[in-house]
Amino acid sequence: MIDPMIFRQANLPDLGQISSCISISTLECGKSGNISISGTLTNLNAEEALINQNKIDEWIREVEERPGSAALIIQYIANRLSELASREEELAAQNIDLLNGRKVEEYESRIANLEYQLELLKRQLGGEVNLPTEMPAIKPPIETINLLVYNPLGLVMRGEMNQVEIASGQTIGRISDWESLGDMRPNVLITTSQEELLLLFDSGRTVTLPVSQLPLLSVESLDWQQASVHEPTVKEELAAIHPIAKMSLYETCIQVSRRGFVKKFKTSFLATHITEKYIGTGVKLPADKTCGLTFANKNDLFVMVSQEGYIFSMQADRLPVAIEEVIHLGITDHIVSAFITGNKPSLLLITQNGKAVHREVSWLEPASSFKTKGQALLSKERREAGTRLIGAAAVDEADWGVILHSDGTLTTYNLRELLAAGSVPAGNQNASILCFSGFHMPEIKG
Amino acid sequence: MGLHVGIDFGTSNSGVGIFHNNQVHVLPIDSKNIVPEVVKTILYITSDYKHFIGQEAVELYYKQNINRQRRFVKKWTGEIDYHGADMHYVRDVYVYVDELQPGRLMQFIKTALRSEKYVGTQVFDRFYSLSDIISTYLHALKQRAEGLLHEEISGVTLGRPVKFSQVPELDQKAQATLHQAALEAGFKQVDFELEPVAAALYYELSLSKPQIVLIFDFGGGTLDLTILRLGDPHLREVYASGGIGIAGSDFDRAIIQKRMLTHFGKGIVQHDPEILNLIHTIPDWAALPELSTPRARAELERAIQAKQAPVRLKALESMIFNDLAFSFYNMIESTKINLSDTGVTIARMKEKDLDIWELYTRKQFENDIQEHREQIQNVLMDTVYASGMEPDQIDAVVKTGGSSNIPTFTEMLNTIFGADKVKSSDVFNSVTAGLAIKAQQNS
Repeated sequence: MIDPMIFRQANLPDLGQISSCISISTLECGKSGNISISGTLTNLNAEEALINQNKIDEWIREVEERPGSAALIIQYIANRLSELASREEELAAQNIDLLNGRKVEEYESRIANLEYQLELLKRQLGGEVNLPTEMPAIKPPIETINLLVYNPLGLVMRGEMNQVEIASGQTIGRISDWESLGDMRPNVLITTSQEELLLLFDSGRTVTLPVSQLPLLSVESLDWQQASVHEPTVKEELAAIHPIAKMSLYETCIQVSRRGFVKKFKTSFLATHITEKYIGTGVKLPADKTCGLTFANKNDLFVMVSQEGYIFSMQADRLPVAIEEVIHLGITDHIVSAFITGNKPSLLLITQNGKAVHREVSWLEPASSFKTKGQALLSKERREAGTRLIGAAAVDEADWGVILHSDGTLTTYNLRELLAAGSVPAGNQNASILCFSGFHMPEIKG
Repeated sequence: MGLHVGIDFGTSNSGVGIFHNNQVHVLPIDSKNIVPEVVKTILYITSDYKHFIGQEAVELYYKQNINRQRRFVKKWTGEIDYHGADMHYVRDVYVYVDELQPGRLMQFIKTALRSEKYVGTQVFDRFYSLSDIISTYLHALKQRAEGLLHEEISGVTLGRPVKFSQVPELDQKAQATLHQAALEAGFKQVDFELEPVAAALYYELSLSKPQIVLIFDFGGGTLDLTILRLGDPHLREVYASGGIGIAGSDFDRAIIQKRMLTHFGKGIVQHDPEILNLIHTIPDWAALPELSTPRARAELERAIQAKQAPVRLKALESMIFNDLAFSFYNMIESTKINLSDTGVTIARMKEKDLDIWELYTRKQFENDIQEHREQIQNVLMDTVYASGMEPDQIDAVVKTGGSSNIPTFTEMLNTIFGADKVKSSDVFNSVTAGLAIKAQQNS
């Protein structure tokens, strides 16, 4: 029988606050059934005690009336003490961090991140942000649509497009000196002049810069010789360029590799990585390379499209945190596009021979597991005939696109027309399509 | 001509029953509930005025509200005319409204019928009178029942406590409101039966010879007592009825008042009146959600900064502004229910900034509700004497309702009437089943 008087030995303080004022020295349960709880009380304000003598007396009365309750009471108190002991451990560890300055470093790092985000916002607004006082009416700088063409050698060209003059099917420019770079396949990105860019190298290194810092060239004749050079280090290639000014609006950043490996991490971590100029290679296989980033919120549908027409989709929340192969690609295949559908209703997938395949987002069958083969877009016959996807995007009918042909010409298209026609109108019959970038036309201000 | 069902519109739980083929069927009205024949008397109205009841309402409330964001906007609500001796001016009145609030949860709706002052509440841009709230709930119940029965329901026999209120005018008004709500819900024929009488009708099915029975119907909102003769439908006679507005929800409130307020800072330091007012609102389930205003937050933050029991006030802030009140009341109710089976339990809740651990014994609970127990014993004895009988003349005492399982009341009945006479009926469904029998007789 457990003696109810054992409770009188322990004048327990508020268990909710015990960790800061009591060190539990022993909790023994002998073979005889005698239990003793002893503690060292320090600095305890009796008024603060949630467990006071009255309560202990009440527990004793319960035990006197129903002796069967004693074992339960002891069990509950023991569980609580054990829980508080582990919390004590956590608090002690935090205290050590505080004392040796590690916490300070952590907060300094966070402050640096926040300052970086603030810097981005300032650039977006085109001036100083005066917080917390009332914001003066800053005249926003004129935002223009910018065309970026870049290649794995780190050459980046920027041209400005006149929003008013953009027309569907119009050749807006040509890249001269096209042949000199051999098979260094270029890429196209449409963005705005107020954006912040993240240059991602396949070594995991990153460089950030505002769009406006890139030298402005004439779109009509872009020349690699005049390109801004962000020279890769040895054995390194520029994998992708991403606009990041709006990254703080998203919870997650997803890094994608050419062989269908994916990892996700919090956008706040990306800010840390950016300050360290390194986000990791994002690959597991030696022959693999990172090919891009995308931002998502947890309920967004993430989509990856491979060159041979296999599509993987999954809710961003379910993607792996560690690098994992989420789509199992054939040996000759690789990822060409990764994006989220957002609130766009349609998918536009462009083939190298000018086919514009339109699918509703609802057509996608989100994968329930990793390493799946993916949803096939192209028939076996068309794949064997050499049809390959060169790009894809989630779009709506108000969106526009730019296509880079293999002869170096750049053409703009209204996607409404492209979706309706089902193919890219043939200009030069001999030129195949190299890459495609969709964009939303900003509203003309002023 | 549609079907006629019995509905027990309870304070905490409700149910729908029908008498068919000489059998009582209590409908599995809430498939998501652990006991599908019982549906929680909870209504959740979303900001687009969709209505949800029972477990579905609870789940949606949790999904949409816990730890959600808030955005308060100042909204003009009207103006007040000031008339002085030599002056008159008009002043605009504004309130802070959380424009991100996804819905309103309402529980203990039936308790509002007892109130003299409660007329209704504003739900977003619409005013719901008490009759609107009840009719919305009954309409949802009717739709679910029709879905299960695949037939239209035209009539209902609704249960009602022996006394909604001790004041006869209020009692009549409460029944009139309930009647009006049932009509608005789409029932063409509406009649009433006393809940303990309904429970008696169900008990009568098990009798082979006449008995004098005391029905001890003890639910979430009221205790209803009826002494009547059962066993022969032609010789049924009600000898006495009584009741009191004390039941499960009052015991929950007692636990909060006596055991929980310390966890939110009461008695730890001398608080300012504003903070004390916030703490004392905790036992009031209807008022607590209303505290989530910028002003209350500012008061709490100021006290926390001033180190006035900061951990406890942080807990209070978390409960108010993370919409944890509903979880808190559920935790208290579970603690109380646990004590029916065991001598000791833990009142435990761990959420953001809120960590309640309270070892609670049955003895403590009995002390906390001692005053209520005495009132209940007095009402019980008054009802027995009003019937003109002595306790030993009662053949059986039938317990029904969730609170009738509380051991101290079983002990009370055992002491007064003898343990062999005290019987337990189907705790949650006996009133519903009895109303179904009555509905068959009325149709």
